[in-house]
Amino acid sequence: MKKLIILTLFLTSIASNAQDKYTKGMEKAFQLWSEQKNLDASNLFERIAMAEQNNWLPYYYVALVNTTASFGEKDVEKLTQQLEKAKEFIDIAKRISPDNGEILVMEAMINTAWIAFDGATYGMTLSGKNAQLYQKALELAPANPRVVFSKAEWDMGSARFFGQDTTPYCKDVEKALQLFANFSNDTPYYPSWGKNRAKAVLEQCGE
Amino acid sequence: MKNQPIYLIILFSFHCLFAQTTVSGTVTDGSKRAIVGANVYLEGTYDGTSTDERGNFSFETGETGTQTLVISMLSFEPHYEVGDVSYFTDLQIQLVEAINSLTGVTLTAGTFEAGDNSKVSVLKPLDIVTTAGAAGDFVAALQTLPGTTTINEDGRLFVRGGDAGETQVFIDGLRVFQPFNATANNIPTRGRFSPFLFKGITFSTGGYSAEYGQALSSVLLLNTTDVPDQEKTDISAMSVGAGIGHTKIWGDQSLSLNTQYINLAPYETLIPSTQGVQWNSPYESIAGEAVFRSKGEKGMFKCYTGFNLAHLDIAQEDINFEDFVRFQLTNKNLYFNASYRYFFDKEWTLNTGASLSWDANKVGIIEDAIDTEEIASHLKAKIKKTFSSRLNLTVGTEYFVTDYSETFTSTDGFAFDTGYNDRLWATFVESDIFFSNDFAMKLGVRSEYSTVFEDFTLSPRVSLAYKTGKKGQFSLAYGDFYQNPLTAILRYDQSLRSEKASHYILNYQFLGEGKTFRAEAYYKDYDDLIKFDTEMPQFNSTFSNSGSGYAGGIDVFWRDNKSIQNLDYWVSYSYLGTERDFKNFREAATPNFAPEHSFSVVTKYWLNKLRSQVGLSYLFGSGRPYNDPNSPEFFAEKTKPFNNLSVNWAYLIDQQKILYFSVNNVLGFDNINNYRYANTPNASGIFERHALRPAADSFFFVGFFWTISADKKSNQLNNL
Repeated sequence: MKKLIILTLFLTSIASNAQDKYTKGMEKAFQLWSEQKNLDASNLFERIAMAEQNNWLPYYYVALVNTTASFGEKDVEKLTQQLEKAKEFIDIAKRISPDNGEILVMEAMINTAWIAFDGATYGMTLSGKNAQLYQKALELAPANPRVVFSKAEWDMGSARFFGQDTTPYCKDVEKALQLFANFSNDTPYYPSWGKNRAKAVLEQCGE
Repeated sequence: MKNQPIYLIILFSFHCLFAQTTVSGTVTDGSKRAIVGANVYLEGTYDGTSTDERGNFSFETGETGTQTLVISMLSFEPHYEVGDVSYFTDLQIQLVEAINSLTGVTLTAGTFEAGDNSKVSVLKPLDIVTTAGAAGDFVAALQTLPGTTTINEDGRLFVRGGDAGETQVFIDGLRVFQPFNATANNIPTRGRFSPFLFKGITFSTGGYSAEYGQALSSVLLLNTTDVPDQEKTDISAMSVGAGIGHTKIWGDQSLSLNTQYINLAPYETLIPSTQGVQWNSPYESIAGEAVFRSKGEKGMFKCYTGFNLAHLDIAQEDINFEDFVRFQLTNKNLYFNASYRYFFDKEWTLNTGASLSWDANKVGIIEDAIDTEEIASHLKAKIKKTFSSRLNLTVGTEYFVTDYSETFTSTDGFAFDTGYNDRLWATFVESDIFFSNDFAMKLGVRSEYSTVFEDFTLSPRVSLAYKTGKKGQFSLAYGDFYQNPLTAILRYDQSLRSEKASHYILNYQFLGEGKTFRAEAYYKDYDDLIKFDTEMPQFNSTFSNSGSGYAGGIDVFWRDNKSIQNLDYWVSYSYLGTERDFKNFREAATPNFAPEHSFSVVTKYWLNKLRSQVGLSYLFGSGRPYNDPNSPEFFAEKTKPFNNLSVNWAYLIDQQKILYFSVNNVLGFDNINNYRYANTPNASGIFERHALRPAADSFFFVGFFWTISADKKSNQLNNL
């Protein structure tokens, strides 16, 4: 009996130890990211990813950190490196967790970063891909607020490009905001971004 | 639980077992400069850090024993240190620069690329089809690049003083035997293939890879799309015909079908061509294309099939005949191309494929009839081993089969058969060597054996590239190229040898942001060109390989899409100096297809308010040489210069509907391509002539393009 207790304690100790390591690592990475230390954050997410090869989240965050850092980046070499890294890691995330709406939205965001950088070069080829990614993400996760919102924002962008009315998409943004309010996922560090951006987009809606 | 403290002690001591070791060191690049932000960690653990401003790193680890320390950094090769953790202190690590295909040196001498992401792309896929005057023919768009000359009445690619027959076209690495629609003399042809099936186009104006042979001047490489983005239906209605296409996707398999009907009769009724021609039955064709693709885990299978049936009946002015000369043509063409690519472990890649073509013509000239049939095929296999990002080796072999037969039947029942069968073997070996991100070399050799004249050839190919700065680079290329004489000659005489050309190319390229500048100087040495002693090659001509020639010149290209918002333009200039003694030339002279100066400007302007793209192209060619039999000198005269200004306007009605207008030669320049002289002098001893002009000066085009897809966003802007 004693042995059993010791063993149990011992095992839970290791387990919580491992759990702590992951939590500590992720917390630290988010902290670095919030301090704008993108490279350090990306490196740490990458180290966690390499140690947790069955968890798509650290891979997802390597992609997210590098992609968000690429919007507004003017240095083509740096941009290319970041976006290629993002693509490499989101591809692995996709293999770990296929049919995941969050990952498809992330993949589309990488394409959008390319289009934002050079619309003439990438607009024609990548916008078709994005349309398809959002379509598939919506089929997979119709109640995911990020999926609904990202698709609406993309559709608005295309409509604006063609000089069309963007108001039909406002109700999609509204719907996304409702979903944001009710959305919850038990997985720690599950993506949670997008609500504030959706609010901002809705405020400008119809203007 | 009196023993509780014991467990605690056990647990505590267990945690203490993780004795901490410090891992430290410095990371630098090849020139000992500190690398900031490299990711340093023990593989499979959380222990690690990023290097600081001085390239230093230091972190604690509880791991013991043999571990792998990983140092990774973008644009450098990852570095691994394996050993006991206790030895990982004060490490001096030098990272090796990774060969970067995007910003590193590239072998560009002689090559123009049009593709999605290729950095050497001078044209983007959309450009190919939105160039004013090109009217959806990608070959016409390529004619705005330097190194090509616009031969108005032909429509094919004439590169650097070479005849159109010196350019070969390949789809997915496999030869296309009849890339152009069959047509009558002086009526320009078009490429058979719709550009939107291709994801990348490489146009080489010389010095190309050992993988390609049987082309003295140039190769045009087309690669079909691997995986289409989405299912869609394309419908087009044009002033010259209509088309419909559909793409279907099942998981990793997809099929695209495309069919087009063209009939110039309504256009000719409205705006008849009057310059030296009378259409009895204007050009009419029905064409179909199908592409099937299947993608596996490590392999890719693609299959392309094209069918084309075309008919025309025309009468053309000829100085040697009182009446217009009637020419009837019915062409049937079937082309099949299948390729398979497989990625093995350890960086081995296999590419195999086969193409098969069947082409039959029924030609009627006045009362005579000519029936031709050509069956040709190309089999190819190549294997590539990538040893590292710095070195790769390709070895391949290919086999060409050509069976040609022709029957000439005159009105009086006289019939004459000609033809030939050729089997050509080729093998090639090629290696890309990157000494650094600034210096690279491509070395290759190709050997060919032709059964028709039992002749063996060996062609070395070399190109070098050196990057002088972040944006500029120099390239050098040399190569020997052999090509069998064309069908027009081989059908009468098979005792000849291959024709030969040697290319020497020096290239400078500057890639700025949104700006591209290229300048290329070249010299081509032609040898063993075919000569014959009659007006045209015919059954009783005497043929020999005694011809020779040269071509030298400078090509300049400038493109800028950044300086002025919404405006994209490119400018090309080519100087060409060439003389050759070939065909029935009595001495070396500059042929009719080689004007000295060629200049073109292409502009595209996006009008956001009108949701329109407006394009304008201007082409200029200096006078083309021709021979006046009234003059004692040979090919000493020149036509007046060639001018063409074309405009187009693409209007997006909505995201999936486009209205497109274009006018070729909008100012109606009266161009003269050549003169045809009478075979015999008139009563006063003068050879009379008539000018060879385009059938009509200008050409108008209106089209409506509608795409139906699930996302409601795609359109055919890239098909125009």
